[in-house]
Amino acid sequence: MSIEKAYILLSILVFLIGLLGVIARKNLITILVSTEIMLNGVNLTLVTVDKYLGKVDGQVFALFVLTVAAAEVAVGLGLIVSIFRLKGYEGSSEIVHLRD
Amino acid sequence: MEWLIFGILAFWLLVSALGAILVRSPVHSILFFLSGVLAMAALFLSLGAELLAGLQLIIYAVAIVVFYVLVITTIPWEKVKRFEGVYRKEMLLGFPVVVLVFLLISYLVLKGSLAMPVGASTDNVRDLGKTLFTSYLFPFEVASVILLVAMIGAILLGRKEE
Repeated sequence: MSIEKAYILLSILVFLIGLLGVIARKNLITILVSTEIMLNGVNLTLVTVDKYLGKVDGQVFALFVLTVAAAEVAVGLGLIVSIFRLKGYEGSSEIVHLRD
Repeated sequence: MEWLIFGILAFWLLVSALGAILVRSPVHSILFFLSGVLAMAALFLSLGAELLAGLQLIIYAVAIVVFYVLVITTIPWEKVKRFEGVYRKEMLLGFPVVVLVFLLISYLVLKGSLAMPVGASTDNVRDLGKTLFTSYLFPFEVASVILLVAMIGAILLGRKEE
């Protein structure tokens, strides 16, 4: 087992931990934090493959992922704050208006 | 030596990620996430991506985490108390699925072979800048438009309704 495979396995683990957080956490803010963990795992894969190809394109993609993650956090937290201000919700199990 | 550094950083990152999804309070969860971001920046440094490590520190550890803490402070504490922790049933059902998926993908990774290195880039920042502003110029401009739209959207969402 070479070290680049260890890096890729680590990034898969980080991604799956973030997925478990998105599935199982109650708080909306913590669900967003788990999405950030998933994005970090993807970035680690991109940079690892990049190093062992000797190119820079994967790092450019990781830069775009960082940019879009910042935009996503701004919009997502704005949505959470406005949901909380309009309805007083704070957990993912209370938002059932589209279902009922 | 490489394995030792990787082992320390990987252990730190995994402990931080697990803490971020398992700890009860949202504030503690964000602090665990911050520690994970630092470990991730160190991993980027050990992979030779210096510019990305710096940007990870600047964007994630400074901007995004502070923004999360700011939003948490706007929400009253007794409301947050009712939604701490995890849903038990979803956690117990999701954990075996996650382990199974990890075993499948790791089997594929260990069985397969990675592409051979063609040559190491020595000056990371210069190469990244050249690639970004030649091959990826149009996606760069699109990313700026996405940031502008997100800024306008966040302002519109955060307004007081008259």
